[in-house]
Amino acid sequence: MASYIVRRLLGLIPTLFVITVIVFLLMHAMPGNAFMALVYNPKVKDPAALIARLEAQNGLNQPLYIQYFDWLRNVFQGNLGMSQSLNEPVSQAIGQALPNTLLLAVTAEVIILLVSIPIGVLQANRANKGFDITTSFIAVLFYSIPGFVFALILLLFFSFKWNILPSTGTVTPGVSYSGSLGDHIIHLVLPAMALALPSLAYYTRLTRGNTLQVIVADFVRTAKAKGLRTPRILFRHVLRNAIIPLVTQFGFDIGGLFGGAIILEEIFTWPGMGELSINATLSHDYPLILGSTLVFAVTVLIGNLIADILLAVSDPRIRYD
Amino acid sequence: MSTPLLEVRNLKTHFISRTSRVRAVDGVDFSVERGKVLGIVGESGSGKSMTSLSIMRLVPGPQGQIVDGEILLDGKNLLKLTEREMTNIRGNQIGMIFQEPMTALNPVLKIGEQIGEVLTRHRGMNKAEAKKHAVELLKNVGFPRAEQIVNEYPHQLSGGMRQRAMIAMAMACQPTLLIADEPTTALDVTIQAQVLDLMRELKNRTGTAIILITHDLGVIAEMADDMVVMYGGQVVESGSADSVFEEPLHPYTRALLESIPVIDEERERLTAIPGTVPSAANFPEGCRFADRCSLVESSCREKMPELRELRKGHSVRCTLAV
Ligand SMILES: Nc1ncnc2c1ncn2[C@@H]1O[C@H](COP(=O)(O)OP(=O)(O)OP(=O)(O)O)[C@@H](O)[C@H]1O
Ligand code: SF4
Ligand SMILES: [Mg+2]
Repeated sequence: MASYIVRRLLGLIPTLFVITVIVFLLMHAMPGNAFMALVYNPKVKDPAALIARLEAQNGLNQPLYIQYFDWLRNVFQGNLGMSQSLNEPVSQAIGQALPNTLLLAVTAEVIILLVSIPIGVLQANRANKGFDITTSFIAVLFYSIPGFVFALILLLFFSFKWNILPSTGTVTPGVSYSGSLGDHIIHLVLPAMALALPSLAYYTRLTRGNTLQVIVADFVRTAKAKGLRTPRILFRHVLRNAIIPLVTQFGFDIGGLFGGAIILEEIFTWPGMGELSINATLSHDYPLILGSTLVFAVTVLIGNLIADILLAVSDPRIRYD
Repeated sequence: MSTPLLEVRNLKTHFISRTSRVRAVDGVDFSVERGKVLGIVGESGSGKSMTSLSIMRLVPGPQGQIVDGEILLDGKNLLKLTEREMTNIRGNQIGMIFQEPMTALNPVLKIGEQIGEVLTRHRGMNKAEAKKHAVELLKNVGFPRAEQIVNEYPHQLSGGMRQRAMIAMAMACQPTLLIADEPTTALDVTIQAQVLDLMRELKNRTGTAIILITHDLGVIAEMADDMVVMYGGQVVESGSADSVFEEPLHPYTRALLESIPVIDEERERLTAIPGTVPSAANFPEGCRFADRCSLVESSCREKMPELRELRKGHSVRCTLAV
């Protein structure tokens, strides 16, 4: 298993190479760069000269392939460069933003799994009966609504109408309980819910479908013939099988959840990777764009790897060696 | 005479949909004596599996329904029990093993857990005790390395080993009745013999009665004390295995006996019975075997023959049998 993981991780390198090359080319295809805005700064006397000097300092006057390989060489030395818009190392900016996004994504994932799996299993157990029909209807409804619309609806009610949950940031500034665990949690609720809701509906449907397939299997009849009661049959014998395709899908979706976080972070002014990368793009901050792209790409690929590992762990019939 | 362990009376199990009614089991009577083996034979579709699933009250619903009859275990009608009471009987007083040991075991749970959970359910053992006991049970069914087997998954075992594990599981609570629905059909010949030997040995050791369902009259001859021949959802002949083999009274039973391949004799060929089993959705009037019977008369098609006891303990459903 360990050697398999190492081999898979090494296998990620060519993919990452291709992704960064593409992003590098696209980013340079955008008109202008991070220093062009200085033209409009009234305090700068000779903007053209300053821009030329800054471009030279940052190597922007070199041919593209040299710029790319310079960046790559630095990455291999663990150096993602200096952000041109924030004036701090890219790694430091990412180091502050990434934990926030991870917290958001992981919380959303936990909500998704804890809610959708039991509901999906119970729906399948009484397929086409009242509970199944009503919850399935709600699930389809939720699934067809984009996450940012949920975000706005949640904000409207919980923050503005009823004023029970905060709408922005990760902590409440300037109060005694600022930064406490409870403070963190109440800030997390709305963005995590908005991120979780559409996937929650999707995973409920997926669990229901998988469970319906497994519930007719011969070994379920055996379990009944042993006198086991329904909860044990459903949540041990059936779910243990139905969850296998589910965890695989889940690993693949980690990247998607990360992507979904980008828009929500804007709405909730959540200082995570989404905000960071949008600001980087808007200000043409090349090192920051490349750095955050690298983080997103690694997340997606690690998600795929996690999917494979979860599959191996959850299905004893699969062996990796 | 004490009462039989199990008595099935006029059992009817039908599959009912808006457009059709499949009479899978249609008025079946038989009984199983304590510690004895009852063999049930019959062609595919004659209702053997549905009869056994009816006894367990595991007929696939909602279409499959037990619409009539009584199933008395120790004089207690199982059809009157609540589902919750029935779960206390299954796996405890009645064990069941199925034809396909690969699909009948859960592929992602360890053998030890699948055996052990019967004991935690019915014997109130904790997980550690149950696992320890599972090792003993596996040794009893002939596993030499039982300590390892409890930690293995079904796909790591051969077909014969899986069926042994199934037997260990079904026998875990020392049931008074074991139902085996074609337990050896999926296995190759030498393994078949081993599994049958094991079942016989366990029966002798524990006194468990067995309902053994099979296509194979040879298996019945070897194992059964009593036998039931089924055709079209009905019992067409029943009695002690000795008397049925000695003097088969129903034309269908006689045809079945003739179709046993007899090695080392001149008629080595398997003479299959011509014609096909009538569809359970659409049985003819009168005798259900009439279309394939060489002795058929017009009276056979008019009225359903009764199951009549012609010899002591030996009954037949044929108007012409004497
Ligand atoms: N789910 C179902 N819906 C409708 N009819 C069914 C269903 N299951 C079984 N039947 C019908 O019930 C009848 C008896 O089936 P059963 O499985 O008991 O036969 P069997 O004697 O066990 O045959 P085999 O030797 O092939 O196992 C068959 O005619 C079959 O078509
Ligand atoms: S009743 Fe008639 S048709 Fe039916 S088995 Fe007897 S002889 Fe044959
Ligand atoms: Mg069958």
